[in-house]
Amino acid sequence: MLEIKNLHASVEGEDEQILKGVNLTINKGEIHAIMGPNGSGKSTLAKVVSGHPEYEITEGEILFEGEDITELDADERAHLGMFLAFQYPIEVPGITNRTLLRESYNTIARENDREELDPLEFDDYLKERLEVIDMKDSFLERSINTGFSGGEKKKNEVFQMAVLNPKLAFMDETDSGLDIDALKIVSDGINKIAGPENAIVLITHYQRLLNYITPDYVHVMMNGKIVKSAGKELALELEDQGYEKLEKEFSLNGEAQ
Amino acid sequence: MSIAVQEKETILNFLDGDFSILSDVDVIAALNQKGAGNISEFSFPTKKDEDWRFTDLRSISRNHFVPVAEAGATPVGDINDHYLPEAQESRLVFVNGEFDAERSSLDAIPENVTVGTLVEYGDSEVVKEHLGKYTTFDEDHDVFNALNDANFKNGVFIHVPKETKVEAPIHILNVFTDAEKPFYATPRVLYVGEAYSKSTVVEEHIGLAENEYLNIPVAEFKMKEGSNVHHARIQRDSKKANHVSRPIAHLDKFAEYHSYTICLGAKLFRNDPRVVQNDQEVNFTIDGLVLIDGEQIADTHSAIDHRHWHAQSHQLHKVVVNDKAHSIFNGKIFVREDSQKIDSFQENRNLLLSVDGTVHTKPQLEIFSDDVLCSHGATIGHLNEDEVFYLHSRGLTKKKARELLVYAFTLESIENMEVESVHKLLLDEVVKFTSRDEEFVAVGS
Repeated sequence: MLEIKNLHASVEGEDEQILKGVNLTINKGEIHAIMGPNGSGKSTLAKVVSGHPEYEITEGEILFEGEDITELDADERAHLGMFLAFQYPIEVPGITNRTLLRESYNTIARENDREELDPLEFDDYLKERLEVIDMKDSFLERSINTGFSGGEKKKNEVFQMAVLNPKLAFMDETDSGLDIDALKIVSDGINKIAGPENAIVLITHYQRLLNYITPDYVHVMMNGKIVKSAGKELALELEDQGYEKLEKEFSLNGEAQ
Repeated sequence: MSIAVQEKETILNFLDGDFSILSDVDVIAALNQKGAGNISEFSFPTKKDEDWRFTDLRSISRNHFVPVAEAGATPVGDINDHYLPEAQESRLVFVNGEFDAERSSLDAIPENVTVGTLVEYGDSEVVKEHLGKYTTFDEDHDVFNALNDANFKNGVFIHVPKETKVEAPIHILNVFTDAEKPFYATPRVLYVGEAYSKSTVVEEHIGLAENEYLNIPVAEFKMKEGSNVHHARIQRDSKKANHVSRPIAHLDKFAEYHSYTICLGAKLFRNDPRVVQNDQEVNFTIDGLVLIDGEQIADTHSAIDHRHWHAQSHQLHKVVVNDKAHSIFNGKIFVREDSQKIDSFQENRNLLLSVDGTVHTKPQLEIFSDDVLCSHGATIGHLNEDEVFYLHSRGLTKKKARELLVYAFTLESIENMEVESVHKLLLDEVVKFTSRDEEFVAVGS
């Protein structure tokens, strides 16, 4: 589904590379976790894949279902079925969750020659999807993330994903700042959405989320590269030993891949 | 040595008119006479005048305006589209400043309420007592108010008696037609709300063509004890018109006056809303929403005068500027000595969509009393690119994302519109404004 090949990227207009040759292959039906210390490039990878204009791809390519998407705008990537759950969801006063989702859902439907939903049909659909994150109807009427608690913002990202039903979702630290109840609801929601036809990439600093969601693969990112990939046991290993050991190993060995 | 004496420029340099002609109605004639004196006396403003520093008046001073009768104005056609469904039988229509009885309908006005023209009720005691008594513009040697005084021969008169509520919104519809020559018009409103009366007034100005004219409305609202009015003012003049308006409200004890001015049209819009607190415990709003593009200029110079104890005032002035448009805001708030317990809110928020747009903003607080809460703020900003990206990443085009964000910015001001059809009309206008064919100039992206 997604193939990232030797991806290099920097902040637009700056020389310093943040991604220094990322390689990653994701197939449908898989859940991946990308872990790593702060500043390792995890969030940048998510933003670059979703088409954030702040970053410039200097080398390499991103293929989505075989198509090179490096030149596509963020909305075009969304139309193909890609989704980014933001680490810091943006507050947009004055636009309700319902308005955004309807516009978003119907735009994506239109671009894919699927039928758009009229307001009544869409409302029914929204209400059904609200169950994924255990939220009340009134949630739809609220301005996007405006005045939401940290947990509500993260739930809203999962809700948007539940509604838009992407093929591939990058979830950028969706677990950070969540209390235990919210963490359960969020991970439960992600588990409900995950299926054989889609793929999910969890970007996280801690193994906590992985107690609730079982990844097929765990990757460790350091200094702009994926330095180690393994099964779910890698997360537990990291939890025990921290990143220091890997960091040492990595710097001793030089190039790890 | 000779000293060149520069001849004073008056508004008479830019228009024709015989201001010795007075109204047949005594109370109007007296104002005509006073106005005629003032227009030849008061100087036409220049950029040297503090209150006109940023305002480019060339669309008036490089033009020449004639009375409507000499302008070769096109007769008005079908304007049914501009009638509000809620005010089908509570509407007064003025065409180029002249009353149009045929297009007006007042069947929904309760019998004890007076809604009509100043000519019709010119001899009534209420008109005699109140007309021209509240404008404070002569003190500032204001030529525009003077021109209205000198020229108006008719206008709107609304009198709501004690403890009476007018259910239907009163729609004052001023339409302006195409004409061979630029003309001037001077609409006038006198509203007198008796104790504990209540009504909604929608004052609308619509240019039916794209012609040049000079529209100078003056409105006086006398709000007696506990009276309440919702005053929506919608300016959709021709994009080549000049609109200089002077609305003033005079509030007695417990009175409430809530006005919402929406500026969409006109090449030059200058609005000087004033509220005078005449007694304790009043509550009022003078909100504004300005949407301008092209080379439009919209200038609001408001003055709020707290003269007594206990008042709550609210002024949210929101502005969206695109292309080379220019917005000016100057919000004066006076709190006089010994007028304590004042709670005054003022905020001017400007959204600049283009690199060539200009915004000038200045809160001006003059507080001579100590137990007072006055908050004020002014912001000028572009669209937040993080917000744009967030919506963009959800599949919306950048253009659509920007449209939604501008729409959301304006919503707060429009939500206050009590009349449903006005609310809807303004939402449509906002969509029209934000979804023009051209791409927004992408500032910051």
